[in-house]
Amino acid sequence: MNEIVLSTSNLAKSFDGKPALRRLNLEVPRGSICGFLGRNGAGKTTTLKLLSGMMRPDSGEIRMFGDAVKSEAQSIAARRRIAFVSEDKDLYSFMTVDQTIRFTRAFFPAWRLDLEEKYLDLFELPRKKAVPKLSKGMRTQLMLLLAMARGADLPMMDEPTSGLDPAMTEDILRILGDLAATDGTTIFFSSHQLAEVEQICDRVCLIDRGQVVIDGVLDDLKAEYRRILLVFDGEPPRELADLPGIDHLRRHGRTVSLLVHTDVEAALDRAQELGASSVEVRPVTLKELFLDHVRGE
Amino acid sequence: MNLRVDFSSGVPIYLQLMEQIKHAADSGAIRGGEQLPTIRKIAEELAMNPNTVARAYRELERAGVVEVRHGSGVFVVGPPALSKKTVGIRKAGDALRPAIKQGIALGLSEAELRRVFEDELSRLKDNAAEARRNN
Amino acid sequence: MLWYKSWLETRWIFVLFVANILMVWLTPLWMPALGFRLPPGVPASRIWLGIHMGSLFTSFFVANALAGSGVNSQNAYGPKPGIDASMLFTLSLPVSRRRLLFVRAGLGALLTSALVFVMAAYTLFQRPGGASAFLAIEYFVRAILCTVAIYAVAVLFSCLLETWWLFMAQSFFWTILLMLQFKFSVVAWLSPLRGMSLISYPLTAPMPWAPLLASVSLAGVCLFASVLVLERKEY
Repeated sequence: MNEIVLSTSNLAKSFDGKPALRRLNLEVPRGSICGFLGRNGAGKTTTLKLLSGMMRPDSGEIRMFGDAVKSEAQSIAARRRIAFVSEDKDLYSFMTVDQTIRFTRAFFPAWRLDLEEKYLDLFELPRKKAVPKLSKGMRTQLMLLLAMARGADLPMMDEPTSGLDPAMTEDILRILGDLAATDGTTIFFSSHQLAEVEQICDRVCLIDRGQVVIDGVLDDLKAEYRRILLVFDGEPPRELADLPGIDHLRRHGRTVSLLVHTDVEAALDRAQELGASSVEVRPVTLKELFLDHVRGE
Repeated sequence: MNLRVDFSSGVPIYLQLMEQIKHAADSGAIRGGEQLPTIRKIAEELAMNPNTVARAYRELERAGVVEVRHGSGVFVVGPPALSKKTVGIRKAGDALRPAIKQGIALGLSEAELRRVFEDELSRLKDNAAEARRNN
Repeated sequence: MLWYKSWLETRWIFVLFVANILMVWLTPLWMPALGFRLPPGVPASRIWLGIHMGSLFTSFFVANALAGSGVNSQNAYGPKPGIDASMLFTLSLPVSRRRLLFVRAGLGALLTSALVFVMAAYTLFQRPGGASAFLAIEYFVRAILCTVAIYAVAVLFSCLLETWWLFMAQSFFWTILLMLQFKFSVVAWLSPLRGMSLISYPLTAPMPWAPLLASVSLAGVCLFASVLVLERKEY
């Protein structure tokens, strides 16, 4: 039912010989709000820049709305339907709010004047104010307005709520949710704020050292992953590492903490066989999923 | 219906919503035939993802708790009168209320009260299990 | 709208140079007020050459400034040096980099030509003995075509470099050219800098086709290279 609006296939990119992205594969279905997570330097901004045409990949393929995006002509065609918001919310320092809107409007024949008016009022953006005088929050709001008024099918944003106060953040999350509810707009954004991602995203994509390590529906991940805490009377057996479906294992003396994916029952049975004296199963939060997939190992 | 979701919990959000709506139906806070808020309304109020709300409604429909009438909205399934479970829940609430008041009067915090309740539950469970073993 | 945007981007530099030129023209008014007087006995032709040289230098800086604050380096002289951050916004729009370059460079070229024209007109107006309309037009064409090379080189450098490297590159390029000009007669023959000068090529002399062709060719090459560079640049 839901076609894939954005996908990458083995996307790779290096800078000065050092790989920033290696064989990156992700898929975003239509209508979802996908949170793009990762540590600093994991490759989030690079990925967004590749997706929006600021950079070219060394190898690999990008597809948007079913079509390959490789040549500049294809990139321009894609840009008619997406909206990229940079990390620093960069706009023209020599324009006012009004001029920026009029300028952008000229590139999109299907511009929604009603949305422009609506969000200008809602955000209370001062029309005649020069962009450099706007706060980061207002610049974010302006860029959001530009993304929505142009009718973008796929806004792609680099940390849209960074530097914003909780009230404004909540407003923006609410707007994003509303966007997804109407017209099947798909939203893809990178973030450091796990709390926001948990609140508004139905999908998450976690990237670590240039590769995707988790990509799926957040609720399903919470359902499929479990933390198993085992206590042993003596030294925990080495065979624990071979248990099926283990994503992460940590030892503290006689206690072993396992992050298990999908086959929880099998892991529990095996743990009992190996002589665990105490077994506890707990649900897993996004924070744990994040930390356990990006640390060392 | 006052929905609250713990976004950072390990429990899937759609399940949390389902639980709360089911409980509201069971306790009589919403009755059979009553209309539930639209997906958009809930998503907007909680500033959360509409797909997740939609999923909760879909699963509730599958479980027979609600029905989706295209064009009109989502409605609670069942007779307008209070069900047996609803009555049971109400009566249990009535029985517990004085006990809770007493606990508070004794100076217990909310967390401590909860622990007392859970301990008693466990004790009953253990007693029942032991009784079964002895038979 | 790209033309409008380019205008908004460059208008203050343009205005600054207009003020600069006006200030030069009004020298006879304000310099004596500050106590400067010409030493007696300076021939009119010397003064005129001074005016001419000044106008050539100004043309050089106008071309570099209007191109060098170019399509790429809107922040080159700004508070956030490095990659032009505004390009992150521009490139999110459905417009080709080639078109961006052409519009921005095109507007800068128009503005530069306007200023060069105005300065050339003034120079001719001040010339002892005046100048006929025909000779004037010849000189305008000469001045503008020779400036085109300076402008195009600046555009290319602004696509390649940012911040103070840009200053350095421009400075180095033309300094080396001037030095080569003095050493090698071939370079002098082709040099656009020399082609603009009324000392090397007086008004009444025949049109110096060599520098004009060299200038236009150099401009063409630079423009072509600029497109290639900009299309491959990463932001």
